[in-house]
Amino acid sequence: MRHSVNRPPTPDTRDDREKEPTLKEIISIKLIESGEKERLMELLRERLVESGWKDEMKALCREYIKKKGRNNVTIDDLVHVITPKGRASIPDPIKAELLQRIRTFLVSATPL
Amino acid sequence: MCSSNNLYKNPKPCKHLADYKLKNGLCGYNLIQDCFKTTPYGRTSLEISKSDIPRCSICSGCQGRFYMCLICSSVLCCLSSESNHVLLHSQSQTGHEISVDIERAELYCSVCCDQVYDPDFDKSVMCKHVMGFSRTENGVEESELRLSKRRRLSFGMDLDIKNMKRLFFRRDQKSKSCFPLGLRGLNNLGNTCFMNSVLQVLLHAPPLRNYFLSDRHNREICRKMSSDRLCLPCDIDLMFSAVFSGDRTPYSPAQFLYSWWQHSENLATYEQQDAHEFFMSMLDRIHDKEGKSSLATKDNGDCQCIAHRAFYGLLRSDVTCASCGFTSTTHDPCMDISLDLSTCNSSPKDLASKSSKPNESLVGCLDLFTRPEKLGSDQKLYCENCQEKQDAVKQMSIKKLPLVLCFHIKRFEHSHTRKLSRKIDRHMQFPFSLDMKPYLASSIVRKRYGNRIFSFDSDESDISTEFEIFAVVTHSGMLESGHYVTYLRLRNQWYKCDDAWITEVDEEVVRASQCYLMYYVQKMLYHKSCEDVSCQPMSLRADTFVPIAGCC
Repeated sequence: MRHSVNRPPTPDTRDDREKEPTLKEIISIKLIESGEKERLMELLRERLVESGWKDEMKALCREYIKKKGRNNVTIDDLVHVITPKGRASIPDPIKAELLQRIRTFLVSATPL
Repeated sequence: MCSSNNLYKNPKPCKHLADYKLKNGLCGYNLIQDCFKTTPYGRTSLEISKSDIPRCSICSGCQGRFYMCLICSSVLCCLSSESNHVLLHSQSQTGHEISVDIERAELYCSVCCDQVYDPDFDKSVMCKHVMGFSRTENGVEESELRLSKRRRLSFGMDLDIKNMKRLFFRRDQKSKSCFPLGLRGLNNLGNTCFMNSVLQVLLHAPPLRNYFLSDRHNREICRKMSSDRLCLPCDIDLMFSAVFSGDRTPYSPAQFLYSWWQHSENLATYEQQDAHEFFMSMLDRIHDKEGKSSLATKDNGDCQCIAHRAFYGLLRSDVTCASCGFTSTTHDPCMDISLDLSTCNSSPKDLASKSSKPNESLVGCLDLFTRPEKLGSDQKLYCENCQEKQDAVKQMSIKKLPLVLCFHIKRFEHSHTRKLSRKIDRHMQFPFSLDMKPYLASSIVRKRYGNRIFSFDSDESDISTEFEIFAVVTHSGMLESGHYVTYLRLRNQWYKCDDAWITEVDEEVVRASQCYLMYYVQKMLYHKSCEDVSCQPMSLRADTFVPIAGCC
């Protein structure tokens, strides 16, 4: 029996994306699957609290809420406003420490 | 009695949450309970699959905040306001507005673009948390209702107005001062400023003042009843009578000092001593004498001596296993709160960071006191859930507030390793009005589990959390040779009590002083005491103010 029509398989948008995961995604998946990401997150939380960054962000949030009025602010608003400020004000030593941890992890996780 | 602070009232649900509840009731919350897992340090999070990372069902992305729809359980991402798939989902499917933040296990409404709260949801989170540690009794405390009767605040401690009036009307006609009654200098009997400063505080602490001035400790009866001639409360009573008699010449508390020496022989020297230590020993002595009587304890075991009634509080200490999140709780009684100066030990990391160090403040110290503290790896504690020693995190909070709150600032550092002691002179800001609500166990514990509207410790809501300062004991000088001065706040006017010298001072002076012990009383007691007869200025002539000078 002949194939009725010769045509390529129906493209599935999901397949397309899954075909080529970026390097970033690969690393992310590896981090999560090994449980390292959770450990790094806890470490990051600890460092950010110690350095006072969390308190600074809280203060920024409070200022914003005071300005806009308590009932006129949604969590999406806050995230949108605070995220760039937060990202910019992370102390360098913390960044360095985390990068170092990730590098160490990658070296140990990559098969030779 | 005051109602609870409106910061923590249950917020009204948004229209979408209300609709969801109507249609679905609690079944969504119950089904999702299976996915709750406790992360280390006690937070609750959603775990959809043990091995796979969360991926958005619309874009398969793995970045941003993830939400799980309560109706269809699809996982959606929200990366930015442009790429908001959880909103997209609710727009394409009606009724699918409410979802759960996966990282935090908190409710979210995608139409309102905001977090929403439902006590039933939080209840299901907390139940799972409690059940997860079924081997022991963790958390049962929180849902347990105290069966003992609610503690009633008795204002003024059965103030007997008539008795007080009899004392006060023996006026000293020569008195020119328009100071409130009860302000009298105390002579320094040889490095006794530590004692004088604390005595001034106790003479004006509303519960103590009312107690002694209502003749609740009657010297004649006491002498008849006990064969033990040594009674510190009697000496205190004597002092109250003297100080509130209207006589303005400085008083020498020699009898009291002698009596106190007899109680604590090792401290019977003329050396400079620590005011805080003296304060604690005073409370001890009062309790020793009064707490022993048969009427001393209430049904729930609380001691009813005046020292305890005024100063007794309860601290809660939670130790959380860093590995499994299991928390064990203990309660410790306290008569005061000792606070470390918050910006004291800065690590090199902090100095390098861009953020400028905040000014030292009481609020900062309280924040530090209630902050979760990671215990060092040499202090591993046995976790009942893991059945082995684990790293742990400790957090303090206040379970029960006293009527009078005493803060002790640890300015004297004693280092055993280096065998030297030093004094930390850093200035500390402190407010005149203080709301202790954020430091209560209910607030602290609530924060630990995320943003919950679960009511913890319903008992606490009937005690007021607002305090007013009424006394500050300051220390100036060095560790070995310093001087204590007390500032008293009577009817919103500050007075400096420097041994025998009492002067009116401005607020700014008090704010700029170096506080060591700070005394706050519940707001209602403070305002009531301002209205009391005892605080009315005695002189009818509005004289220009004359500072009381005494010879020492």
